[in-house]
Amino acid sequence: MNSVLVAVWGLLLAASIVWYGFLVFHVGWKAGREIRDLTATLGAAER
Amino acid sequence: MQLTLLDWSIILVYLAGCLAAGLWMRRFVRGVQDFAVAGREMDVNLGIASLAATELGLVTIMYTAQLGYEKGFAGAAIGVIMWLVMWFVGRTGFVIGPLRASGIMTIPELFERRFSPRVRWLAGLFVVLGGLLNMGIFLRLGGEFLVHAIGLPPGALEWTMTALLGLVLLYTALGGMLSVLVTDYLQFLVMGVGIVVTSVLVLVHIGWTPLNAGLEAAWGAGQLKGHPYNPFHESSFGWGYLLWQFVFQLAVVTTWQTQISRVLSARNADTARAMYRRTSFYFVGRFLLPGLWGAAACVWFTAQGGLPEGLTSLTAMPHFLGVVLPAGLIGLVVAAMLAAEMSTDSGYMLTWATVIYNDLIAPCLKRPLSPPAQLRLTRALVVVIAVFLLFYGLWYELPGNAWDYLAVTGNIYLASVFTLLVAGLYWPRANATGAVAALVLGAVGPVAFLVLGQRLAIAPEVAGASSFTLAALGMVVGSLLTPARPLRQ
Repeated sequence: MNSVLVAVWGLLLAASIVWYGFLVFHVGWKAGREIRDLTATLGAAER
Repeated sequence: MQLTLLDWSIILVYLAGCLAAGLWMRRFVRGVQDFAVAGREMDVNLGIASLAATELGLVTIMYTAQLGYEKGFAGAAIGVIMWLVMWFVGRTGFVIGPLRASGIMTIPELFERRFSPRVRWLAGLFVVLGGLLNMGIFLRLGGEFLVHAIGLPPGALEWTMTALLGLVLLYTALGGMLSVLVTDYLQFLVMGVGIVVTSVLVLVHIGWTPLNAGLEAAWGAGQLKGHPYNPFHESSFGWGYLLWQFVFQLAVVTTWQTQISRVLSARNADTARAMYRRTSFYFVGRFLLPGLWGAAACVWFTAQGGLPEGLTSLTAMPHFLGVVLPAGLIGLVVAAMLAAEMSTDSGYMLTWATVIYNDLIAPCLKRPLSPPAQLRLTRALVVVIAVFLLFYGLWYELPGNAWDYLAVTGNIYLASVFTLLVAGLYWPRANATGAVAALVLGAVGPVAFLVLGQRLAIAPEVAGASSFTLAALGMVVGSLLTPARPLRQ
């Protein structure tokens, strides 16, 4: 029983580390572009 | 652990970058709509970054590591429940879909449309009380991390946290949600890298097999408070608590105003739902990765013969990181932890200031304020909340487990406001009488348990479930005993 639970937590741990890395690079890249679009939209409204 | 020149450089560059980005966004703020919900222009990836940064504070890292120290990996079961609940809400749009479509700025605003102005004011009061008390311990726990991880002298704690809060206050009060979104983005990047690097280093330092052998040994020796892997075991959370957490987390993700403010800032309801679905698995790591650090600290200290004098299950993890992280990397980790603290403080200060202005002050004014006056008042409220945080947060002593404190203070408004939201959105027969009854009964429950729970040893899941049951009963009985009225929306 314990070995199954250890494997489950190990998988979740590995998936979490990979997911955090993916979020930082993938979401980070796209969110950077969204900030650029957001400031462009707000800047146009400001003018 | 002594910080090297490289460590200080990383920390100072990060802080300067945050301040510059936050102040730069100030020029785009033209009114309260921009200040409170970023002009509703937020897209999905920026929403994910902001939600992830705000909902993972240094306080989160401290209490999830404490759960890992006391319960091993089983302590992260709450994160698995949050993942499932977030995904369900993102998939179905339960509550968040109609909430975003309504075009409101705060949850209590919906209650005026659906019930009455009195219900809005009362709900706003409960939201602010629960939220501010909940936030009250953030600075204290953040300071504890710095004291134990980098050996900050305890006397410098108050001044360090005051300076950090002052920095956050500067860009939050001037740029509002626009500054919060951009600084959240930077903090999300720094925090994400710091958490991944720390987790890998902890695993490399202690090893996966020795970690599990150590956890089993600690469990056998009675060092752990619960079974290290099985959250359903009677020594761990148990079935009742985990079932209760499903209801509690459903209320959190649909009602907690700091989380909902991202929903209300989203471009539309579909963007909000996508943001929830894609952020959902993040919540497993939110509990599991700091939980790993806490579990590793437990194994490490057990091998050393137990916790040294002056350390607790809460402060063991930062002390452990201060010992195992190599010089040069501690700067990155401290910057990541400061990022976690700052993103949460800014989001929370802005949210509660918006609710105080929008739902407690504005409804009492005979004539509406001019847009510049609205903006000045909301900014002043951010400053007042920061001052409250300093005095309450740095001089209040936590009575017990940090997670329990956060759950109880959050529950003061979660049960009642969740009941109002669900009934208001999905039950046409709900009326203002039922809403007031639900608000009062939902808050009386947790407050009574706060007083009586110490003497009668009431389980937290019983206390929590009772407050939800009382609120639901108040809503149903109050609405059915009084005449139905035409819907106000």
